[in-house]
Amino acid sequence: MKKALQILFILSIFFPIAFLLLLSLGRNWPYPELLPQSLSLENWEFLQKSDSKLLQTFFLSLGISILVATVTTALAFITSKHIALSKYRNKLMLLAYIPYVLSPVILAATLHFFFIYAGISGNVSGVLLAQFFIAYPFGVIILNNFWNHKTRAIEELSKTLGSSSWQTFKNVLLPISKNALLLCFFQTFLVSWFEFGLTNLIGVGSVQTLTVRVFSFVNEANIFYAALASCLLILPPMILIWINKRYIFATETVI
Amino acid sequence: MKFKSKHISITIFILFAAVPVLLGFGYALLYSFGLTGILSEGFTTEYWEKTLLATEFWKSLGFSLFIAAVVMTTSLFFSLWIVISWTKNLYKGLLSYVTYLPLAFPAIVMAFFSFQLLSKSGFISRVIFNLGWIDDLSQFPDWTNDAYGVAIIFSLCLLITPFFIILYSNLYQNERIPELKALAQTLGAKKNQITTRIIVPILLKKSAFTIMLFLIFVMGTYEIPLLLGRQDPSMLSVFIIQKLQKFNLADIPQAYAVSVIYILLIATLIAVVYKTRPAFFNPEKN
Repeated sequence: MKKALQILFILSIFFPIAFLLLLSLGRNWPYPELLPQSLSLENWEFLQKSDSKLLQTFFLSLGISILVATVTTALAFITSKHIALSKYRNKLMLLAYIPYVLSPVILAATLHFFFIYAGISGNVSGVLLAQFFIAYPFGVIILNNFWNHKTRAIEELSKTLGSSSWQTFKNVLLPISKNALLLCFFQTFLVSWFEFGLTNLIGVGSVQTLTVRVFSFVNEANIFYAALASCLLILPPMILIWINKRYIFATETVI
Repeated sequence: MKFKSKHISITIFILFAAVPVLLGFGYALLYSFGLTGILSEGFTTEYWEKTLLATEFWKSLGFSLFIAAVVMTTSLFFSLWIVISWTKNLYKGLLSYVTYLPLAFPAIVMAFFSFQLLSKSGFISRVIFNLGWIDDLSQFPDWTNDAYGVAIIFSLCLLITPFFIILYSNLYQNERIPELKALAQTLGAKKNQITTRIIVPILLKKSAFTIMLFLIFVMGTYEIPLLLGRQDPSMLSVFIIQKLQKFNLADIPQAYAVSVIYILLIATLIAVVYKTRPAFFNPEKN
């Protein structure tokens, strides 16, 4: 019974992936057919067509997410250290938790006026900044755990032994923080990669990331292209989660 | 120099983490009182009265709370059950990898998948039709865009349960539950008692803050109710965006009034946790 339930559980996890992949290969799925009437790579070939823009969308999303994750990780690493050392640590962390738990789309709705005023509504820079507003506090929360007594003791020891601040940072702190930094990068990449409401509102539909494209395809009732875009959306996170699981989750706990 | 870099760093943090929330809150507050925006004619409580007296807002708040409560209860039940029943299997083999896969699903993809699965013309309806249980797709129940948010609950459970499975399987080891379990068994506790009086209370207590955060997340979720929910009742974030994007300009201040209530609600919840359990904000003391 236990084994059967486990197999059922595993199948239920693979089912959405297989289902979306099948739909992405399909054309014409009249009711009550269980499978689309024709299956081919025709939809996937759409990716290569210059007028499809789906591949450009994929790379735009990838670029935005990599940039947000890189800047967030770098800045959050420095900030989280100073917060951890501050006597106001708890109060500052409280400030980090509020934007972290706020619905991004509601934050975007209340800030949209300022983005319009600054002339960055409807363009990539506006979307980058808006995503940074939600990814950065999250990055600080993740890296705050890293600056514990042990890390600080190692840092102090390095300085006591005569290392300069730069040497300590480069030769001691960076190597021991590799896992925490990778975890922060992956998590903030996913925050940006998965974001829809805030991106759609601040981007005013002009910044077409993959999530926005999935929504457009669903609205157009184009389920096959929506499935194709969905497959593109779940592919990078799957790779990242595999790397995360293989190399990082074994030594770090997320929350 | 060190003093200076510390202050610059914390200033940057406040500038990018706290100031946007304050700016947004301030703007929403001013707009809701008629002090800014296209309709601005000076201070008025008219929009707040309209918001608070209308059943629409309370229905939306109630619906969001209902969805959050059902989703969290269901997800916690299944994740605890899986972790307690399959402990050993979650650390090795296929199951240890597979559990992480649903984390790769963005909310919008999960919503799209759920729609293709649960709608009247979806996959389940087709299977049931082919089994001869229904003669027409209209006989299939309304699971999407329905009054109880069945598809919304389904999608959110699919997204959240794997996260709690991973969290609980980590806590299970970190809190040394196998040792506690062995000790309880030695002292004569029954299997049922070990589960209900030792394992579940420890796991729930240790994850209390995360559970609260997820309750807030679920209440503010947008993509899933947008694709799978109704206009009435709608979840809070959908309700706010609908009011903001409607052609009726008089609805905009009401949307901001609801945003103010939502931000205050979240800030109050976090502040209560801060006051009662400050250790949650400092992992070294947790």
